Amino acid sequence: MSSSVSSQHDQVLVEENSFARILTLNRPKQLNALSFQMISRLLELFLAYEEDPNVKLVILKGKGRAFCAGGDVVAVVHDIWAGGWRAGANFFMKEFSLNYLMATYSKPQVSILNGIVMGGGNGVSMHGRFRVATENSVFAMPETALGLFPDVGASYFLSRLPGFFGEYVGLTGARLDGAEMLACGLATHFVPSAKLPMVEAALCDADSSDPVIISSIIDQYCEKPSLKEQTVYNRLDVIDRCFSQRTVEEILSALEREVVDQRDGWIFATIQTLKKASPTSLKISLRSIRVGRVQGVGACLAREYRMVCHVMRGEFSKDFFEGCRAILLDKDKNPKWEPSKLEHIADTTIDRYFSKVKDEDWEDLKPPTRSKFNLPPYVIAKL
Amino acid sequence: MERAFQRTQVLTNHLLQSSSPLPSQTLSSNACLSYSPPELSENCAFDVKEMRKLIDGHNLEERDWLFGLMKQSELFNPKVRGGKVFVSPDYNQSMEQQREMTLKRIKYLQERGVFKGWLTEKGEEIEMRKFAGFEVFSIYDHSLFTKLGVHFPMWGGAIQFCGTKHHHDKWLRDTENYSIKGCFAMTELGHGSNIRSLETVTTYDSNTGEFVINTPCESAQKFWIGGAAKHATHTVVFSQLHINGINQGVHAFIVQIRDVDGNICPNIRIADCGHKVGLNGVDNGRIWFDNVRVPRENLLNSVADVSPDGKYLSSIKNPDQRFAAFMAPMTVGRVNIAIGAVYQSKVALAITIRYALTRRAFSLKPNEPEVLLLDYPSHQRRLFPLVAKTYAMSFAANYLKVLYAKRTPQSNKAIHIVSSSFKATFTWNNMQILQECREACGGQGLRTENRVGHLKGEYDVQSTFEGDNFLLMQLVSKALFAEYMAAQKRNKVFKGLGLEHMNKPCPVIPSQLTSTTLRCSQFQMDALCLRERDLLNRFVANVLKCNAKGENTEQAFNSCYELAKDLGRAFSERAIFQTFVEAESTLPAGSLKDVLGTLRSLYASISIEDVSFLRYGYLSVDNGANVRREITKLCNELRPHALALISSFGIPDAFLSPIAFNWIDTNSWSLV
Repeated sequence: MSSSVSSQHDQVLVEENSFARILTLNRPKQLNALSFQMISRLLELFLAYEEDPNVKLVILKGKGRAFCAGGDVVAVVHDIWAGGWRAGANFFMKEFSLNYLMATYSKPQVSILNGIVMGGGNGVSMHGRFRVATENSVFAMPETALGLFPDVGASYFLSRLPGFFGEYVGLTGARLDGAEMLACGLATHFVPSAKLPMVEAALCDADSSDPVIISSIIDQYCEKPSLKEQTVYNRLDVIDRCFSQRTVEEILSALEREVVDQRDGWIFATIQTLKKASPTSLKISLRSIRVGRVQGVGACLAREYRMVCHVMRGEFSKDFFEGCRAILLDKDKNPKWEPSKLEHIADTTIDRYFSKVKDEDWEDLKPPTRSKFNLPPYVIAKL
Repeated sequence: MERAFQRTQVLTNHLLQSSSPLPSQTLSSNACLSYSPPELSENCAFDVKEMRKLIDGHNLEERDWLFGLMKQSELFNPKVRGGKVFVSPDYNQSMEQQREMTLKRIKYLQERGVFKGWLTEKGEEIEMRKFAGFEVFSIYDHSLFTKLGVHFPMWGGAIQFCGTKHHHDKWLRDTENYSIKGCFAMTELGHGSNIRSLETVTTYDSNTGEFVINTPCESAQKFWIGGAAKHATHTVVFSQLHINGINQGVHAFIVQIRDVDGNICPNIRIADCGHKVGLNGVDNGRIWFDNVRVPRENLLNSVADVSPDGKYLSSIKNPDQRFAAFMAPMTVGRVNIAIGAVYQSKVALAITIRYALTRRAFSLKPNEPEVLLLDYPSHQRRLFPLVAKTYAMSFAANYLKVLYAKRTPQSNKAIHIVSSSFKATFTWNNMQILQECREACGGQGLRTENRVGHLKGEYDVQSTFEGDNFLLMQLVSKALFAEYMAAQKRNKVFKGLGLEHMNKPCPVIPSQLTSTTLRCSQFQMDALCLRERDLLNRFVANVLKCNAKGENTEQAFNSCYELAKDLGRAFSERAIFQTFVEAESTLPAGSLKDVLGTLRSLYASISIEDVSFLRYGYLSVDNGANVRREITKLCNELRPHALALISSFGIPDAFLSPIAFNWIDTNSWSLV
């Protein structure tokens, strides 16, 4: 039944079955990092599938050992150097529109996260109805180490993780495995990678958009993974006590108080990670997650778009460019953040990241309209 | 016989109908109702974020953090309904369980550093942060708000305001850490509003250097003391102080009532006030003191002290002024109650209007879709004036908070009067709004999970505690009387309380009110000033007339209670309106200012529609009809802004209720 409608060189491979469409991110050498072209193509395909009554289900996966390592940030930085911040803004406008479309999609999306899923990779999967993790899954939102902040709607999905796990994951960039993803709700299912072909085949046979039916099909191949002994998920009490504090400074001192109480490698490493991250990033990330907790997904993406435009413009800090230099280009892993300390950043500076961009032609994010579709209740609940 | 006849008739109708093919056809042609989210159909003509900034006024980040703290904790009873998380206490728990939950919630918030600086820091910044906190907690649960209100501004406030440095050093940090739990023992069974006549008696024993506090009779038992029944370890007791046989009036003393293990201390007896119509998460109790001895230092001595050898010393000779100084903690209590009431109105209106934007009833023509509740002019007329009132109260509350946070000895009188007036007005408005919203939600308003109906029981107490509303309004009228007499006696102009308009010529209301005039803020202000001015003149004249007939001033105030009430209301509505005009004037021209102008006109119009304008003849019957017509038009103009107006209240979805969202999915069989 399946027919391939793309060539091997396409960055997104398309497979058409009777009711399902399988989209494969196809830049394995770049760990399927999302290029502008891929994002545009995905947006185009998702929009078309929504109108097509024959399509009941969309499956998204990655070629090779990654699902998707993120947005192609190196390309974005090159674009900004060549064409100014607007080139970057264009990229994010398109990417966030795709994230919004997926979050409010009228048909179920099943993402198969058999490998690395980071940054922008989470943006194209976490908003969909089903996320299937495997023993190969590695999740992270590592933006604060890069001078950015967890974007692609992370302020929506991270803030809805249990307790203050979202703050922990978003500020530290901590890596989670498949079992942890399932435990905290980032994944809806855990399937051993060996069974993935069977899941796909079964899904392709399903003539239904009913999430209950789709879920029960995946359930048949599910296993209950056990959390590893050293899992961070056993530290939820410490995470809740510390990452619920009012400010980044208070989170750090709460963590330091915990160190005094118990000699603990994990807490020590967490403190070190936070101290290595961009101070500005930490502050805007915390605020973003906190505000995101009381906003719908559309408002979250619109706010993140404002924030990312400010970051691209480098008005208040150029940490994003410094982070890209140190981590992705020069790879010296030694970024020089400016401002260099948390206490040097005033609340009013943070406020400005959340304000409208003062530029004549600039506009707020205008995501695709959804009013003509009959949205399922799980989507309505996110608005 | 009659019943048998009725039954036959019902059966006949039934049979006749089922033989007709029509009903089943109509049934099958009706598609099932589906929920259509208002976000996708309603437009926002103005920036909701900017509006929220304007009406919340301050500490937005702090508010969102607090909302998040509550939403993310199991202690706040999150429930998933229709794919969304809602947090609200389980009011189906027993009184005892509800009280334990309130306590646990406070401890959780304390551990997260929420109350850091609440008593140990000073200044405008911390005052505003506390206000924001109380507003947020009131949105979650009135018991949480009240238990915190008793502990921080009442117990903590008594130590701050009535105590001196050694009290501050000894008690404030432990209070802030919640390692001691305070309560506020003022009201007695026999005396609630009339605090100066409390019957608890304290004497001084110079041999031991101790005060001896005693409950001499049953009517002197302390009553309604929030926190006393279960959790409080300490209380501030208000009591007459007898020194060498002379009653020096009401003073405040610190008494420990429970030890660290929660056992009641010797010579203290405590009983429970029992189950209440609402607020069952607060452990209100009754306390008897059986010659309880406390060290001399436990007298809160900011205005008066007793020397070790038993001499009464006071910097304030006038007992009236001394008494007023002890009442200082009541003022912040009133401010808190007033601002809390505004947020309850916001919760109820946000839920009710969201429901009215998704619930339909009746088609106006055959085969047409049913009409949205909010598209009925009658529904708009019920709800939009309340939205306008709530916006007006928001601006007034922001004014009051700043007035309080920036207080000086000179502004104390104004704070006292304005807080009394706003507390009474806002809490009355709130009850009216809750009732209207409950009815506008129909049967759904009666389910506890939907909040609006339940809130009535929770918030009813607001019109009584920290000053009975009726008495507070009388207090306002008396204060205005005093201002009038003082101005006249010294032949001076009116200054303060917004009474400067009394110095100007009396405004004139045009004989024919047009739409343009009715929407003009100068006209609106004139009309409200005219009423206040005339009622004040009348009130003074009537009181003086009673004086002339031989009544003393207190008797005269009692005789003129109707005018006093009307005057209190006239003052409040004018004062509230003034804050609205001022807030609007800070905005640049644009969509935000436009919609606020419409709301301001609606608030003014419903105030002018009040019966007092006709009763005292400020408005002709014809003009009364013009005002009424204008209200309908204004409501209609606000209809497109409905969703944006209530979204600007900034209340997260989780703190509203299931009927505000997908009420069909929430109630579906699959979720039973």
